[in-house]
Amino acid sequence: MGLPSTATLVVILVTLPLATATVLFASGRQPRTLILAAALLLACAALALGVNVQLEGISVHPIGGWTAPLGIHWQVTPSGTVMLVVTALVGLAGAVYGTGYFLHRAGPEGRMARVFMPLWLFAWGGLNALFVAADLFNLYVALEVMTLASVALVALSARRLALQAAMRYLLAGLFGSMIYLLGVALLYGQYGVLDLDALAAVMDPQDPGSRAGAVALTVGLLAKAAIFPLHFWLPGAHGRAEPPVSAMLSGLVVAAAFYLLLRLWFGPLAGLLNFGVGAMLGTLGAGALLWGGVLALLQRRLKMMVAYSTVSQFGFAMLVFPLATAANRDAVVAGGTLLLANHALAKAALFLAAGTLVRASASDRIGNLVGFSGRARWAWLAVILASAALIGVPPTLGFSAKWLLLQAAIAEGAWVWLGVMLGGTLLTFAYLGRLLERALLDPAPEPTRPPLLTLALLLPALLLALLACVLGLWALDDDMPTQWIPGS
Amino acid sequence: MHPVEMLFDALLLLSMVVLAWQGVHARNLFRAVVSFMMFGLLTAVAWVRLEAPDIALAEAALGAGLTGALLLATLGRLDQGGRATRLRTTFMRFSLPWMALGLAGTTLLLAVTLALPAPGLDEAVLRAMPAAGVDSPVTAVLLNFRAWDTLLEIAVMLLAVVALWSLGQDVLASTPRLPAPALPALVRLLFPLFLLSTFYLLWRGGHGPGGAFPAGALLAAGLVLALLAGARVPERMTGAPLRCALAAGLLAFLMVAVGVMADRGVFFAYPPQHAPILIAMVEIAAGLSIGVMLTALFLGGEPTDVEGGPS
Repeated sequence: MGLPSTATLVVILVTLPLATATVLFASGRQPRTLILAAALLLACAALALGVNVQLEGISVHPIGGWTAPLGIHWQVTPSGTVMLVVTALVGLAGAVYGTGYFLHRAGPEGRMARVFMPLWLFAWGGLNALFVAADLFNLYVALEVMTLASVALVALSARRLALQAAMRYLLAGLFGSMIYLLGVALLYGQYGVLDLDALAAVMDPQDPGSRAGAVALTVGLLAKAAIFPLHFWLPGAHGRAEPPVSAMLSGLVVAAAFYLLLRLWFGPLAGLLNFGVGAMLGTLGAGALLWGGVLALLQRRLKMMVAYSTVSQFGFAMLVFPLATAANRDAVVAGGTLLLANHALAKAALFLAAGTLVRASASDRIGNLVGFSGRARWAWLAVILASAALIGVPPTLGFSAKWLLLQAAIAEGAWVWLGVMLGGTLLTFAYLGRLLERALLDPAPEPTRPPLLTLALLLPALLLALLACVLGLWALDDDMPTQWIPGS
Repeated sequence: MHPVEMLFDALLLLSMVVLAWQGVHARNLFRAVVSFMMFGLLTAVAWVRLEAPDIALAEAALGAGLTGALLLATLGRLDQGGRATRLRTTFMRFSLPWMALGLAGTTLLLAVTLALPAPGLDEAVLRAMPAAGVDSPVTAVLLNFRAWDTLLEIAVMLLAVVALWSLGQDVLASTPRLPAPALPALVRLLFPLFLLSTFYLLWRGGHGPGGAFPAGALLAAGLVLALLAGARVPERMTGAPLRCALAAGLLAFLMVAVGVMADRGVFFAYPPQHAPILIAMVEIAAGLSIGVMLTALFLGGEPTDVEGGPS
């Protein structure tokens, strides 16, 4: 028996989250079985799509039977599919965690429980729509769905600081959207097409209008991906949101904006990516690595530390741009995508485990965390595995990703970027090591009545962290899709 | 271009700049909001001058009408002490650098924009029109050629309502009623006209300027006016009926998009013989939902049973 066709799977992936979210909202109820069934179905569809892409390679699906440039089409690419699969894994984990985290039916937690799942599914639908989109304007609308849902998810925690962070995130997100849209308008005014492939075919790197458009697209996405120095909104938003929300935001939403940067700079904008542009983007990345890493080292609160770690890790991903050359594009983009996937799994695991530990310790100060005992052990195990993946210990996915980038740096003789990478890895090791050392060697006393840590609070983080560790073996395999450049 | 038209455009542009300036630098927030609303109206006129009546309709209803009502309602709930002075003192420190940056950016952008050849897809649209199922090119693009974009945009609007409602209870109870004794009577007179125009625009969408977005905006304008005149959401409409009305547009759109796959197996590929009726269905559902969604945004939160009689 064969799997459903790729086109069918894509339709399921983009419509099911929206439809489920709308039905949940309209009914005003949160039937747990329906939610988990939808999340499970989405995860299965994403995995099946992954199998199909391994067999069939890149495929194109016109929507409404209209071909570009008039209509829109979906494009299923290896890198997009990796993101779809990771989204499904984190989405499912977050849905399960949410059912165990928002327990009370009344009060503020009851309100959160009611709206968490519709918003979560809207964000999921936006992400899926983005990863299959191949049209500048369609990408903009998908970005809007994703961003608005994310802002509402941050505001879910109705505490004052979280609301402030949500407002700042909304403004930064809208700023990013407007600048991105300006770039879309400039390119459309120049070439009259929105389709990425059609644009790649006609793009003239010398034309000032195209350059202005590329700058606008990039600045808009840098703001959405929280790349230094446009990261100012991220630590508050991710650090103060509820744990499952932080997991999706840090793991997926920021990564989606970065994925789009990869998609554009190695797609239609590839002709503009010269040494100077690469060096500039790489410098921003080095700044992010350093600034985010040092601030993560200075944080006293667990979730704020994990949030600053996100700023730092995306600095790593930015090094893709200076390292890419005509010869190693495939390998470097594969490295960048795997880096996003590893970060998504490990960071989501870290945030989910952090939420569990904070609940068990009744404090989010690193010095007050419970030690490696009781059921909190499983949360600590997830933290250790996720840390290994973020640092890039072999054979984790993080190692495979960094290995691809290191090889490129060595082959190119790019010693500066090599040094930045090694320095960033050391910083990552330092702040995660500090967390483990403070908490495991010098733990706070157990609370007298520790809250019950159910399986829903422990398993999702552990499984995500495990996946980040073992998928590295698959990623080093020769069967890995070799054509990673989106749309080529 | 005729000299009179050029003079008109120059005046329009100048007034827009002046109103934008006033919107940012007015002595108090009320003036700023009024300037902003007038700026919205003039923007609508500008769209008319650019021969985009659909956008002009939506801009007038949303940019001037609904956003203005939202801002005024917000203003009514703000404590006004000290704001006027703060607006002025930050001018040198805050506005000046931004204005310099904005001016430089605008100049650069203008230079680039003027050089754009702006080819567009007009010809491709015209060539595909016979198979589009509607006579209006705008509706064909919105609900057929790029229907997936429109579906996601409606999802964004519904999401905005979900997001707003997730913040907590509605704030309608504190909405200031306008001190206008004649308003309720006037609204009673006008409301049927608003409804009639909504349906007229929905029907017109098939072959001319109109369609779901302007119709929804007009419906919302009527409903918001009724709310300002003291009307309250009837108790039997809150809860499930209201939620269903909000969700209907997106659900209908999704059902049609997936349902038409029964014909050719392609997402959103309307069967040619049924395209007109399917598009009309989607348009009506979306238009009504948009009207209710915009009104819900004005309400500011999920309405619970509040005191106050019907209008």
